[in-house]
This record gives sequence, structure tokens and C-alpha cells, in this order.
Amino acid sequence: MAYPYVSDREVRVLSKYFGDPMQRRVDTYVERGGYQALKKAFEMGQDAVIDEVKASGLRGRGGAGFPAGLKWSFMPKQPTKPHYLLCNADESEPGTFKDRELLRWDPHQVIEGVLIASYAIRAKQAYIYCRGEFFETTQILAKALEDAYEKGYVGKDIMGSGNDIDITVHVGGGAYICGEETGLMNSLEGRRGQPRVKPPFPAAVGAFGMPSTVNNVETLSAVPHIVTHGGQWYRQWGTEKSPGTKLFCVSGHVNKPGNYELPLGFPLMDLINDVCGGMKDGKALKAVIPGGSSVPILDAQECADCNLDYEGVQTAGSMLGCASVIVMDEDTDIVKQVRRMVQFYAHESCGQCTPCREGSAWMLQILKRIEEGRGTEEDLQTMLDMSRQMTGTTICVLSDSVGAPVVSSINKFKDEYLALIRRGERVGVA
Amino acid sequence: MSDVPFKNPGWAGNTGEYDLTEDQVRGDEFVGTRPIEGGHPSGSASYPYMLPDKDPEAPLFEGPYKDRFEKILTRYPNKQAALLPTLGLAQEVRGHVSPHTMDGVAELLGLSPAYVRGVATFYTMYNKRPVGRFLIQVCTNISCNLCGADDVMGAFLRYTDTELGETSEDGYFTVVEAECLAACGFPTCVQINSRYYENVTPADVPKIVEHLKAEGAGGD
Ligand SMILES: Cc1cc2nc3c(=O)[nH]c(=O)nc-3n(C[C@H](O)[C@H](O)[C@H](O)COP(=O)(O)O)c2cc1C
Ligand code: SF4
Ligand code: FES
Repeated sequence: MAYPYVSDREVRVLSKYFGDPMQRRVDTYVERGGYQALKKAFEMGQDAVIDEVKASGLRGRGGAGFPAGLKWSFMPKQPTKPHYLLCNADESEPGTFKDRELLRWDPHQVIEGVLIASYAIRAKQAYIYCRGEFFETTQILAKALEDAYEKGYVGKDIMGSGNDIDITVHVGGGAYICGEETGLMNSLEGRRGQPRVKPPFPAAVGAFGMPSTVNNVETLSAVPHIVTHGGQWYRQWGTEKSPGTKLFCVSGHVNKPGNYELPLGFPLMDLINDVCGGMKDGKALKAVIPGGSSVPILDAQECADCNLDYEGVQTAGSMLGCASVIVMDEDTDIVKQVRRMVQFYAHESCGQCTPCREGSAWMLQILKRIEEGRGTEEDLQTMLDMSRQMTGTTICVLSDSVGAPVVSSINKFKDEYLALIRRGERVGVA
Repeated sequence: MSDVPFKNPGWAGNTGEYDLTEDQVRGDEFVGTRPIEGGHPSGSASYPYMLPDKDPEAPLFEGPYKDRFEKILTRYPNKQAALLPTLGLAQEVRGHVSPHTMDGVAELLGLSPAYVRGVATFYTMYNKRPVGRFLIQVCTNISCNLCGADDVMGAFLRYTDTELGETSEDGYFTVVEAECLAACGFPTCVQINSRYYENVTPADVPKIVEHLKAEGAGGD
């Protein structure tokens, strides 16, 4: 039995060993060429590593798509204080399930990526912030880390290079907002995981007040491959602006949900119909959320010629986010699913900003009312107005995310809202 | 791909193989057993588990737990940063984090009790009150929801004979709703204590509940 599902259209760079637990062993990892990229990075020197990652065009896989090499170059070149690398393994965006797979199937790949990034930004300590629910996953990671320490790939004088880098696995306490980079830093410091105002940016004032860089697990997992083969090699896949491969987390109403590593720019409909074996029970497609619950919903028509790269999805009217493709068939109750997403945000709002805290709770009330047949048409306008007031007015973008499913669903599936409202009016629930 | 002598490597969860132990699911042969004192300090914080046996009066901390606490402290530039891992450790031995426990942790780390309460109550994983031997967390977020999570939730409530969030009379089960557990491709995902059960359907629920009841006396 192979890893749940594989497709011959995949390009498995990061996910090559998914489903093979032998890869968790340090000996196997090294036999297969592991930790050679780290050695090479030490020989290249910090600036050359940053340049190579820049040349690859690798973009952050945590959602925002910010170029990784550029982010690293913001870190001071002559450290006067300790630097920190923070690996974001708080994966909790609904629809996203790639970082857990990377961590539990190929923990050394993550560790090697963390080490190279730490070296490049001149950090001697890195933290891997894992969400608290990942018990098995963090244990696999911790064991791998322990083995790597024992073999001298982490810690003092790594492979006799004179470089010292320590890594610590840090576990969270269950809060989505700790995935936001400044919330993560607060949480790491033993505070409530509430986001900070930017600027100052983490490269200036980050964890413990020191220059820091936050990168996603998938971003860092790509780094050893880029260092080994070069930035140009990585560009053989993907598009000019979105180079490389990406793990697509497909969930919902398809025959073969799962993680698929594909070149960026892959057509959405091919992903659904070919790679994922088509729609479950042969039903028709109604809608897709292409990048996790925080991005606008696409209707079937918009999906038709959508290509899955950062620009392509934007052209179609949404965002690639973390490439968490949630597929919904013709029988999906859109209002219910939007309500469920808003319920999530209302629960996860950290409460600092009034528009977010009050707005998400209020929207949830309205959506529940509509679902129960007690809504009015004005409610729809109210929600559109609210989401405008919740966008761009708060410390972090969680507040903006609440509006994404709400506004896009009202615009694209208004009939479903109206049907619920009218049904309520007819039977006189209101 | 190498040929692996491995009964269930944990992909797509442990569908239909609910009799496997936690070690078997994780792939004990490949990651080793969990050292109670946390092994190397780099990973000490990541070992807390939810255990069925809970002792709300257990000391903070003794024996291997003390070792682990001390190792955790070595990994941060200040004591405050050890707060989350320490709360996790306290929950592992005591089962929940009561105000009394929060005060104990505050003292250990030289923080004010009010501060620790403010932080501990921010995070959902610290149980503020006692839970059953098995904390059953059913993800009902979108991907699982599309595939019938509400029915799975209903089945758990029915077969454990509990209300949402309440503990069953025999003290075995507490069923709660969870947010996305990052296993959306394997719906419905249910976390029971430290372990993920994936691809759970309502039809699987009686089997799981029976298995837990049998396991209840010991095991994890
Ligand atoms: C509300 C919110 C939640 C986030 N959650 C995560 C997360 O779980 N994992 C992650 O890697 N990035 C998450 N991010 C993005 C991070 O803030 C940050 O951009 C990212 O970790 C940077 O890494 P990258 O450049 O490698 O993508 C989140 C952002 C926001 C606003
Ligand atoms: S927008 Fe929401 S989640 Fe973000 S800082 Fe403000 S209240 Fe917290
Ligand atoms: S939606 Fe259930 S695990 Fe993600």
C-alpha cells in the first residue's frame, strides 16, 4: 500500500518519501543524501545561500506567499544580538493538512531546512512551534531531532564546521491565532498568542525582542533541495512568478482526497478530475475554496479555467493561500458551511480588536438566524457592510478572513440565502 | 519505496484498526518509545500526552517529570517562555489545569498568579475542568463537515450517552467539538486523548467506543 493516494502527474520533491516510515530514521535519511545540503550551505557561506534561495523564487508556503530569500535578507548581516529562526508548524487553517505530513514522514528534511535557514540568517537557536494537538507528530519530530543531535548534525560545531545551531521543539496550547507570525512569537514567549502591531517587523524586533524570521514548515522543507540543486533547477517547475512545486491539500467531495505535490500553475479542474479521481458519486461541482477557509469561494464557472499559482488564483477571484483546496458538490449547503467557517473565526478571534471580536460573533448570530429561517434580506446587506468595516481595520488579517467566505458566498450564491429567508417567511418562523 | 514491516504506518489514520496501540500507530519501531523524562532537552516539551489516569493532586513536579521540567527550562532565554510547556506538563499529570494548578505553575516559574491565569485561559487545550478518561474531540470544521462530521458527532454522543461537553456518569467519556485538526483529507478526524482517529464514519463509532471501554481500565 502506498501513501494514501498518488498520481503520476505529481512531481514529488518534498513528498518523495511520504508513506515510508524508514525515512524517519537518521541513518536512512543520510543514506539517501540527507544533511549534504547543510554541509554544502556551510561551504557556500550565508550570503550565497540567501542568493540561491532568492534565485529559486521560493515563496512562503504559510499563506502570504512572500519570497523566502528576500525575507532572510532583511535580517542584520552583522549580528549584535541573538537571532532566532521560528519554524511555523502551527498548521490550523481549515482545509490545510500538509505540514503535519511533512513533519511526520520526513522530519529530518524539516530539520535540515531549519538548520540551513538558521545558518543563513545567522541564528544560533531555532524553535519549531508545533500546534499542541500534534502529539504523535511532535514525538516523531522530537525523536528525529534527538538522533540528529546524537550524530552531530545539530548542536555545537555541526559536522566540524564550527557552526553552532540549537533547535527546540515548542508545543502550543491550541489557538489558531498562534499561527500568525507575531502571535506565534508572543506565544513562544509564554504570553497570550495575540498578534503584535507591525512595524516593527520581526526582522528588527521579533521573538524575545531580537531579530527573528518566521517560516512555514513547507517553505523550509524546500530549502535543502534548492541548496543542493540550485535555484535555477527549482524554476523548472511552476511559473515565472510562482516557481517550484507545492503540496496541494485536497479535501471535500472528491474520490481521492489527500496531499498532492504538483508544479505551481497546475489547472484546478485537472486536479479535481484527474489527480483526485473526479467528484464523489459523480456529482456536479458547485464551489471550491482554493486556499483554506480564509480565502473567497469560487463558483464552478470561475474554477473552469483557474490555474493554481498565486497569480492564477487571484485572476479567478480568490487567493492561493496555503493551497488547501476544499471541493464542494452540487448538494452542498453553502450557508451552513459559511456559518461553520464563521463559527471558527468567532471562536479563534484573539479579542484584541473590536471589529474582529464583535464582528465575528455578530455575523455568526446573523448566519445562524438565516439558517434557522429567521433571516431577512437586510441581513445580507448588514453582513456586507460589516465585512467592509472589518477589513483593513485591525491588527492582523484574521478579521479580513471572516469576510472572505461571507462576502463571496453572498455574491455568488445569493439564491441559497434567499431561499432560506423566503422559506422562513412562508412558514412564518419570523 | 522500501518494504516496511509495519502494520499500520499511520497514513489515513487507523481506519478499521482501532485495536492498535498508540505506539503501533505512531510506528514505535521507527521512533522509539516515549521516554517519560523527555529524552533530549530539545524535545522535552513535546512529550506531554493526555493520559487516561489522572491525579489532580499530583505534585508539580517529581521524578521524571521534574527532570523534564528542568530540561525545558534550559531551552529558553527566560523562565516565562517555559510557561506553555510547563502548563502542558501539569496537565499531563493532573488531567486538567485548575486555578490551583495555575498558581502552582506561577510559583514554579516566578510569575504572578494573575498573569498565568490570563495566559492559561487563552488556550483551549488546557482543560479548565476535569474531563473523562477519554476526551473525544470531533472535528466538525468545513472539510470534515462536508463529509458528515455532524453525524459522527451525533453518534459519539449517542454511544457514550453524554451531552456535548459533559462527562459520562462512569467518568469515561467527554465529547467535545474540535476545530480543524489538520487532517482534512482523512475526514472525519477525531482526536481521542493524544491520538488521531481518521476517516471515522458513524458506523465506526460503536466499535471505537467499545474498544475504548475495554481499554479503559489500563492502556492509553
Ligand atoms: C490568522 C493567521 C493564521 C496563520 N496561521 C498560519 C499557520 O498555521 N501556519 C503558517 O505557516 N502560517 C500561518 N500564517 C502565516 C504567518 O503569519 C506567516 O506569514 C508565515 O508563517 C510565514 O512563513 P512563510 O513566509 O514561510 O509562509 C497565519 C497568518 C494569519 C494571519
Ligand atoms: S484581527 Fe482579530 S485575531 Fe487579529 S489581532 Fe485583532 S482581534 Fe486578534
Ligand atoms: S476540517 Fe476536520 S481536520 Fe481539517
